[in-house]
Amino acid sequence: MSPHRSPFNPLTLLLRLTEPRVYVSFLALSLLLVIPLLLDSPFAIHIFVTICVFGALSTAWNIVGGYAGQLSLGHTIFYGVGGYSAALLIQHFGLSPWLGMWAGAILSVGIAVGIGYPAFRLRGPFFSLATIAFLEVIRLLVIHFHGFTGGSAGLIVPLKIGWAWMIFQDKFNYLIIAFGLLVLSLFVSWAVRATRLGYYLIAVREREDAASAAGISTTRVKLIAVMISAALTSFVGTFHAMYLTFLEPGTMFSLSAAIEIAMFALIGGLGTVAGPLLGTVFVVPIAEAARGWLGASANGLHGLVYGTVLVLITLTLPGGLVGTFGRKVAALIDRLPGARKPEDREAPALRQITGTPGETVLEAKNLVMKFGGLTATDNVSISLKRGEILGIIGPNGAGKTTVFNQISGFLIPTAGTVSVRDGAGMVQPATPDDFARRGVGRTFQIVQPFGKLSVIENIMIGAFMHHHNVDDARESALRVAHLVGLHTLKDVEARNLPIGDLKRLEVARTLATEPAILLLDEVMAGQNQADTRKMVEIIRAIRGTGVTVVAIEHNMQAIMSLSDRIIVIDSGKVIAEGEPETVVRDRRVIEAYLGEDFVHAQGL
Amino acid sequence: MDVLVQLILNGIMLGSMYAIIAVGLTLIFGIVRVVNFAHGEFLMVGMYAVYLISKHMGVHPYVSALPAMVLLFAIGALVQRFIIQKLLNADEHIQIFATVGLSTALINGALMVFGADLFSVNAPEVRKTIALGPMNVLIGHIVIFSAALALVAGLHIFMQKTVLGSAIRATAQNRYAAQLMGVKVERIYIISFGLGAACVGLASALIMPLYPVSPTIGSYFVLTAFVVVVLGGMRSMYGAFFGALIIGVVDSLSGYYIAPDLKEVVYFAIFILILIFKPTGLFGFGRGTE
Repeated sequence: MSPHRSPFNPLTLLLRLTEPRVYVSFLALSLLLVIPLLLDSPFAIHIFVTICVFGALSTAWNIVGGYAGQLSLGHTIFYGVGGYSAALLIQHFGLSPWLGMWAGAILSVGIAVGIGYPAFRLRGPFFSLATIAFLEVIRLLVIHFHGFTGGSAGLIVPLKIGWAWMIFQDKFNYLIIAFGLLVLSLFVSWAVRATRLGYYLIAVREREDAASAAGISTTRVKLIAVMISAALTSFVGTFHAMYLTFLEPGTMFSLSAAIEIAMFALIGGLGTVAGPLLGTVFVVPIAEAARGWLGASANGLHGLVYGTVLVLITLTLPGGLVGTFGRKVAALIDRLPGARKPEDREAPALRQITGTPGETVLEAKNLVMKFGGLTATDNVSISLKRGEILGIIGPNGAGKTTVFNQISGFLIPTAGTVSVRDGAGMVQPATPDDFARRGVGRTFQIVQPFGKLSVIENIMIGAFMHHHNVDDARESALRVAHLVGLHTLKDVEARNLPIGDLKRLEVARTLATEPAILLLDEVMAGQNQADTRKMVEIIRAIRGTGVTVVAIEHNMQAIMSLSDRIIVIDSGKVIAEGEPETVVRDRRVIEAYLGEDFVHAQGL
Repeated sequence: MDVLVQLILNGIMLGSMYAIIAVGLTLIFGIVRVVNFAHGEFLMVGMYAVYLISKHMGVHPYVSALPAMVLLFAIGALVQRFIIQKLLNADEHIQIFATVGLSTALINGALMVFGADLFSVNAPEVRKTIALGPMNVLIGHIVIFSAALALVAGLHIFMQKTVLGSAIRATAQNRYAAQLMGVKVERIYIISFGLGAACVGLASALIMPLYPVSPTIGSYFVLTAFVVVVLGGMRSMYGAFFGALIIGVVDSLSGYYIAPDLKEVVYFAIFILILIFKPTGLFGFGRGTE
């Protein structure tokens, strides 16, 4: 095993300064300070402050909206809370906004958890609607409690000038702070993307079920994302309130600003580190220039530009600027002189699973699963011994996958218990991710790849369970890719793979979690003969590392030659159990597969 | 007691206004499976159209209901044809952004053309009240209530009794199966989106005499309509109708008993609770119906 590295080292970015992509990014970013310094006009400074503020807001939003795919349209809640907290603390306690911004951030993080915990159950547009509703509620409450907040009339920030109060005569100082906040947001966003958390968020966005099967607590990672995002958004809100020196509920808790923040990220490229800032840099100057050009009579013009650009982007460049042009630009930048990223290394071996052979590793007792009037599993008990390969067969609709779903936590049985060995004792895990972390890995009958991640990244999602550092996870994932024969395809996006490779990717991702028990749901279905043979070899190799395997399979030849023991399920009941040779001769089994007539015809 | 009954009656009247908007939203979501974030802005466009027609032709706003419905049907059909149609297989967030972008563009477009001023039409007879036993009701409200009933009844007959209606219901159930049965799904979507938008065309003519129009009027009504749609189970026209009446009553009661400026807080709270704890809607219409 490779020595364990710490999950994240912030200095790595500085060490990589000689890589073209890194130094080009830093140079490009510094233009946001250099250009206004050269132009030296109050209007230019105002535009660049606006770009930095919205760039930072959009970058922070992207951690939830882009990486985790939770399209919040209520993010100005945190912006407003940041602004109001700091302003009220100045007014009532004379506290510097540098301290007030922390109070705002803490409050925002609390609110983020309070909103996120219930709202993360919602999908797609309904999550967005709920966030709008929360924003409206908070805005209305701020208006209602006007004695405290100033209500609709608004709140004027007490004018104390100087660095301690974040209010300046020289407007360039504002730009320095705004730029600092932008750099902070970008750094945090990059750090999230470059570590396990970022991969987990994308996994959750792409397929929540597969993410749970890889041991990810989906609610927990989404909450972490929204907490980080809320704190950053709140910081920017504090600064912007000081910059504007006037707060009113309509502008601090504005729906249209919340939409703008999200749209900049989409225009630049959702879920990318640079996208949100690029989107802001692209759109804000167009709108501001149009406004300057047509004058004050053009009220609403910038909104019209934003809305139109957004619709056009969805129709023509749904990947945003980075998604569309990113690869080409990156390839050009890579031609510049500088250091290169080191080649990938491969972990020497997979973890050997240890334990007493033959001891019970999973015990399912009297499982009953009812869906309305249908009993899908009827009193099924399975006892799994360490090191064996157990085959589960039965006609379509017999309830095999339903059993799998219960012994991996995806369905809670109507009655019965599932316990898993954990060290010396047995435990009863509660959720799919809990099962996964206790060593029960499963594949899905209908493959569940993370479509927009590459093959190696898909496998890494599994590997992260035991390897928290990205490089460790990558090395381990490469090892697994090699084992299942996917290493030559490691950089291909999963959605472009044919079904045979996708089946192997399912196995690889699960195997990368280093499970003690591997549940395989029809991994040979729809495969050609060569692929089937390959899969049989893979399964034998997996068992060789000490893993206990349970396989649901329709391919009789393969499952009979692989399994030590077979369980036959029909109509939700176990109808036969034993060694392959005895099971195939069992009258009830033949009846279940071929019908009563066949049994009679054979004279059995 | 009289106050309570009067408040409930007011609520039902108010609710029937939300019902017309919400039924349109439900049609679009139930059939095309797209949440139209620009629905409120369709209403706003309709109201400006009604205002312009009434002002320049000197006709009663109710008379402009028909042209407003035709106009909105056309707008809805065009939006479906040229925007939504192309995004049907795109990621969900792209669909959300498309209608959100449309909404932003329409609000600000209106702001450029009409400015932020409020415009209203003069139709005093609509604001007269008539006595219904001990209660008083605005004539305009009675018209809206009747129109909402007629709309739901008309759509019911259309959906159940006509060939086109059956094709629409089949498409809503399963777009691929309908396609295999020879239904021109793209055309059904265009018609459905148009019908959903035409509902707000009707609403705009009925609302115009009671509320002045401004660029942001749409979000005021449509956020409530979203609450209604979720309450009604998201895909059911009937659910939307009853949900609207309930929200109308909640609006009216909480405005009186809690605080006028907190009534939205009350029904947004209901909205959030329903979304989270009973996502199939209050009446369980959420699955399979319509």
